[in-house]
Amino acid sequence: MQCWNCKTETSPGILSCPRCGKVQPLEAGATFFDAFGLKPTVDVDLPGLERAYRERSLQVHPDRFSTAQARERRFALEQSTLLNDAYRTLKDRAARAFYVLKLNGLDLSREDAGTQKDMPLSFLEEVMELREALDGHRQRGTLEKALEMAGEVSVRRSTALADAEASLRQLLAHLDDNSARSAASHALARVRYFTRFLEEVNAMEEEALEG
Amino acid sequence: MSGGLLQIHDPLKPKGQAVGIDLGTTNSLVAAVVNGVPRCLPVDEQGGTLLPSVVHYATEGGVVVGARARAQAADFPTSTLASVKRFMGKGRGDAETQKLGSYRFTEGVGDVVRFEVAGGAPVTPIEVSAEILRTLKRRAEAFFSTKVEQAVITVPAYFDDAQRQATKDAGRLAGLDVLRLLNEPTAAALAYGLDKGSQGTFAVYDLGGGTFDVSILHLVDGVFQVKSTGGNSALGGDDFDRAIAEEVLGAQKLTAPTPGQVTTLLAAARAAKEALTTAQSTTLSVEGYRTEISRAQLEAWIAPWVEKTGPVCRRALKDAGLKAAELDGVILVGGATRVPAVRRYVEKLFGRAPLGDIDPDQVVALGAAVQADLLTNAQRQDEVLLLDVIPLSLGLETMGGVAEKLIPRNTTVPTAAAQVFTTFQDGQTAIDIHVVQGERELVADCRSLARFRLSGLPPLAAGMTRVEVRFEVNADGLLSVSAREEASGAIQSISVKPTHGLTDEQVEQMLLDSIEHAEADMHARQLAEQRVEAQRILADASKQLRENGDLLQAQERSGLEGAMALVQSLSAEDDADTLREAIHALDEKAKPFIELVMNRAMTRALAGHSVEQP
Repeated sequence: MQCWNCKTETSPGILSCPRCGKVQPLEAGATFFDAFGLKPTVDVDLPGLERAYRERSLQVHPDRFSTAQARERRFALEQSTLLNDAYRTLKDRAARAFYVLKLNGLDLSREDAGTQKDMPLSFLEEVMELREALDGHRQRGTLEKALEMAGEVSVRRSTALADAEASLRQLLAHLDDNSARSAASHALARVRYFTRFLEEVNAMEEEALEG
Repeated sequence: MSGGLLQIHDPLKPKGQAVGIDLGTTNSLVAAVVNGVPRCLPVDEQGGTLLPSVVHYATEGGVVVGARARAQAADFPTSTLASVKRFMGKGRGDAETQKLGSYRFTEGVGDVVRFEVAGGAPVTPIEVSAEILRTLKRRAEAFFSTKVEQAVITVPAYFDDAQRQATKDAGRLAGLDVLRLLNEPTAAALAYGLDKGSQGTFAVYDLGGGTFDVSILHLVDGVFQVKSTGGNSALGGDDFDRAIAEEVLGAQKLTAPTPGQVTTLLAAARAAKEALTTAQSTTLSVEGYRTEISRAQLEAWIAPWVEKTGPVCRRALKDAGLKAAELDGVILVGGATRVPAVRRYVEKLFGRAPLGDIDPDQVVALGAAVQADLLTNAQRQDEVLLLDVIPLSLGLETMGGVAEKLIPRNTTVPTAAAQVFTTFQDGQTAIDIHVVQGERELVADCRSLARFRLSGLPPLAAGMTRVEVRFEVNADGLLSVSAREEASGAIQSISVKPTHGLTDEQVEQMLLDSIEHAEADMHARQLAEQRVEAQRILADASKQLRENGDLLQAQERSGLEGAMALVQSLSAEDDADTLREAIHALDEKAKPFIELVMNRAMTRALAGHSVEQP
């Protein structure tokens, strides 16, 4: 690695050159964890992450380079974009877990991920039940009942998320552990469903607020 | 003018002084950091800092901006444009154009709002705003005696991409390098934060003439992080004025007022609203009609508008994951927050008395000046950083007219997101992309930002061609879109030009036109200067000929008179350069004569002197 400006040898992953101070280009394939100099993990120290986010933003935010040459401005924009997107993902437990799984070969956000097919039947029954109950509350306009359901569903979501994290810890320790990967995937599919359910209740609540 | 010299010679400011501009619905301000302190600059002869955002297009051509323009409003209601910010980035037939007002919108083709005005072609809100910006730029240049080319311009946080793009275009048109579009509540927080050195979480409640914003910010260690923002870019003090005006029209049983009556009535309504900030009742009188309005009446009329801000604030708190009680303070911004009913409402909403110790009219401009200084002054860049968000989700139209969000609202900028599209027909070689902004499920309910077609794709079986569409939002909150065909890697970059905006070519043309106008203006000024000079030298020469003409030979005298006649006749023509040459020739011809006159005066003086000697 060489600084594009002063040609000093630099270590990978640094934001700016230790000698001339110029912002360095983003490394190809840099992950959200790389943006913070972290190893992939589901256990992130949130106050530390927030502090690092502020410090690194001060280093690379485009506002600090409004008078710099175009090349450095572009690097600052790229670094800052990655930093913002990384912070948004890593500070959120669920988003972080999905991301760890994605880095390990399973992107649940893709339509062709195929996770729905091999979900256990019991989960599909659970989904049907919740859906019918919520539709009923929506039709009757019983928001309090929907909020009650939401409270219960968010407990189920936390449990599913904790299950997913446990499986992901195992997967990160043994990257070839396929049963841990599929357990994480199943747990996260549950998380995703519960999250969507909660968002729907949220939308109902917002409608009531504004209507 | 303290600090002027320092500013000129500061090597860090090669482009002159950088300023902050609050381009408001009702008033606009320009501010700058002078000797380390942000201050609003005078914009009129009286030293006032508020430039009314009013532009008058004169029948004989020419543009007047500010208080003098507002004075023309009653006589020329349709050629005197106020509150044009409401129309920035809006399409013809937008709900904003249906509200009570004295604008005359153009009929015919084209998507952008255009106003019919006297003295020339119809103008867009972008051009009108550029006139206001140009005036502020000139006032700042006069203040600093140096050029002003760089500016931070504030926009309501809730402005969408089209409204932001329109504001940036207006800046460009006014000859400004727009360093940054800064969200108004964020600017206000910056002015407060630096002033107080505070830490904590604050809500900024910003109710201006035509827009409402609320932002929740977290300040720690010099980093201002916007947690959430919300608003309504079609709600403000103007609505209060219209509410009063509509009540009066109803009482007068006047169903079809003329544009002149509307303008006069809206001005009277605004005056009544302002009077009721301190008084319990006031008299509204317009065209012989007088009525008494009490504060309680006003509050009842405007209550529906004030209450619209409640859900917006609650949603912003929810998006930030906070309860009102967790806030460390609430900041009031915007002239409409002077209305006591608004203050009471905010206090009830957040459960605490709001802060308003910086003039709510000035605070946004002051914050913009601070940001302009931060951006151009390398020594200050380690101190403070703003991390702002996009106010509305950005997405793409998918099957069935459903909007799929790529970047959710309140995402910190700069940011990026990508989405892969596949073809759905065998041999399909093009994909249509529709970029939308908004929170609603259906595309029809969102704001359409741009449509474009990716063509030249390889004709493969359905689903085989994969195209990645990438959104990038810069620190101004402006979107650009690129698309990459995965197999070939061919990239198509599209700069998103809003559906209801101007194309780059249109802005370029307007810029060229304004440069031509600038040249015409400069020529007119030079001609005027030469004419003044001609009158001065002619008066001088005539006087000397009258008093000392006897010193000249007949031939010398006729030569001089010939040169005078030439200056006289060229004064009536339009050629400044030829006139200058004629003045110069007259000056040269007069020199020997003036020498003779001087000698005579000297001799007389000496003679007089000697007589008085004892």
